[in-house]
Amino acid sequence: MRRRPFLGTVALAAAVALSAAACGSSGGGGSSSGKETITIGFQGVLSGDNQQLGLNALYGMRTAIAEVNADTSSPFELKLVESDDAGSPDQGPTAAQKLIDNSKVLAVVGPMFSGATKASEPAYTQAGLLSVSPSATNPSLTKLGFRTFYRVIAPDTVQGKAAADYVSDVLKARKVFSLDDKSDYGTGLSAALEAELRARGTAVTHDGINPTKDYTSEATKIIAAAPDVLYYSGYYAELALLSKALKEKGFTGKIASGDGSLDPQYVAQAGKSAAEGTYLTCPCGDANSDPKAAAFVASFKKVNKGAKPGTYSGEAYDATMALADVFKKLGKGADRESVVKAFADVDFQGITKTVAFDSTGEVKGSNVFVYQVKNGAISVLGNTVDLLKS
Amino acid sequence: MGFLDQFWQLTVDGLMVGSLYAVIALGYTLVYGVLQLINFAHSEVFMLGSFGGLFTARALLPGDGSVPGGLASVGLVALGLGAGAVCGGLAAFTLERVAYRPLRRRSAPRLAYLISAIGASLFAVNLAGKEFGRQNVDLPDLFHNGTAFRLFGAAVSTQSLVIFAVAVAMLVSLDRLVAGTRLGQGIRAVAQDADTAVLMGVNVEQIIIVTFVVGGLLAGAGGFLYAMTFNASYSMGFVPGVKAFTAAVLGGIGNVRGAMLGGLLLGLVESYGGYLFQASYKDVIAFLVLVAILMIRPSGLLGERLGRAA
Repeated sequence: MRRRPFLGTVALAAAVALSAAACGSSGGGGSSSGKETITIGFQGVLSGDNQQLGLNALYGMRTAIAEVNADTSSPFELKLVESDDAGSPDQGPTAAQKLIDNSKVLAVVGPMFSGATKASEPAYTQAGLLSVSPSATNPSLTKLGFRTFYRVIAPDTVQGKAAADYVSDVLKARKVFSLDDKSDYGTGLSAALEAELRARGTAVTHDGINPTKDYTSEATKIIAAAPDVLYYSGYYAELALLSKALKEKGFTGKIASGDGSLDPQYVAQAGKSAAEGTYLTCPCGDANSDPKAAAFVASFKKVNKGAKPGTYSGEAYDATMALADVFKKLGKGADRESVVKAFADVDFQGITKTVAFDSTGEVKGSNVFVYQVKNGAISVLGNTVDLLKS
Repeated sequence: MGFLDQFWQLTVDGLMVGSLYAVIALGYTLVYGVLQLINFAHSEVFMLGSFGGLFTARALLPGDGSVPGGLASVGLVALGLGAGAVCGGLAAFTLERVAYRPLRRRSAPRLAYLISAIGASLFAVNLAGKEFGRQNVDLPDLFHNGTAFRLFGAAVSTQSLVIFAVAVAMLVSLDRLVAGTRLGQGIRAVAQDADTAVLMGVNVEQIIIVTFVVGGLLAGAGGFLYAMTFNASYSMGFVPGVKAFTAAVLGGIGNVRGAMLGGLLLGLVESYGGYLFQASYKDVIAFLVLVAILMIRPSGLLGERLGRAA
């Protein structure tokens, strides 16, 4: 009997919370300026070890939305709904469903990681909701019949090939140890890298290791193989630990990795001395050092309280801006189906590249850049096309 | 490169990780010894101690990224260990007060302790995630790390030497504490028979608190050592916690020397297994060994019970 008042309080609180939520959502739709409001979703990694990559993209998206909304000539205002999939395939479908169930959402930027994308896309395709990934680079994603999937970044086949060319021609590696994290992203990238290295006659040792904390025995294995270059296909949290373990054991070869590790957090977590000299490849330019992107960098910093654009920030910005371009062309009454149709023919000059797609859904023309950690900061060395020439 | 070429290198690596498992495993085994319950929130005590030591060391380091040397290094490591131990001890003390004692007062069923521990663990993990961020945090070098000497061709780094030496020192002092002091006598008495211990004038409540705190001190200092190699993060406790629990069961839960043996053995098995098979199978191999040993010796290598064996 003593419990009764308590239960009553809970029931009351729940009722209040529910009605507040209901009021909250019914308040949306119209806006103060009398413009139409278009809601777009974001699905990405907003928690977990590799959260920084998700924030980079989300901030890029917020920058684009702030610019569109500040533009008085824009016929609509954009509203953002976020959905966190923690970068994991298990949580992808739930995160996607959250956006699909919100009938106001007309298009989605995301998902971000290849594994989560593979798991989420069947739901998007079934719902006919367009999703534009800023970062999912696994080659197979455009070959699985997901009619609503586009990405504004080149697949890993492009990055892997360019990375292999750079490793063997510029770094002059005779022996390469290719390690991946067994994720959809890692295996796709390492397969592309190894295929090109083998074609060039460079000796390759392959190994895979699921993300862990303890890389000591893997480091022993790598050092025993004595490669000129270790290429890790995976994300920065793990590369940081691997670099630490390799440094402790006195690895003398060079360390290289891909876009998943291109983040200042890599240096912060590995420590400056372990990260120093690491090469990082990415099919993405560096907005911070690109004079053409200066306006974007300034606006990004303004919107995001001084944060600098990171990996995928530019891509997420371009994806959002390309969507806004499509909405503008469609005019009033755009729905999910018309957005999917119109996006196939988009041709938009973004800050990272021209957003236009070939018939398979791959972005046309994309450059792979090489970066290196120097004095504790990641700085761009240049485009692989130019680096290979010199 | 064959396994035999790398045997000593893998042994060195395995002993380093294994000594950390052993230090954490003691926390499980001590509490099991006196209360016959598995403290599943122990991994969070380890995590909090790790952050305590890490933040202390970072605050004391010169901000210019230079690596200190000589006495400064010794001081930093000692202070980091101390801060880690104090945070771990405090966390364990609080845990006992908040999550266990109220249940003990009410003579709650065994299952309630388990749920209470899981709740406390989830709370601590998420609080740490909120306060310290969800990124991994690096512990900068506190001394010049490099190959200290070679053992049968295997490189032994200064860092693994420090970790191993400190861990072994902690293990030996704990063993002495339990076997040779009045306090240890009390712990053993409660472990053997709590009711009789009360009749003999042992303050059981006090012994329980001390047991938790000693386990927390060890886990906290162990957490600081762990962060030297593996970084710290809010979710860092889970895997080493499971491993240490395994080590405790492997050696015979409730048995102090068993936990030490179990920890070192587990570290070695993982190191060899990770090299022979794929590194991802490391955990599988570790648990296979556990199952195999428990089939032959169901109460662990050295048998159960703190009271009898120590």
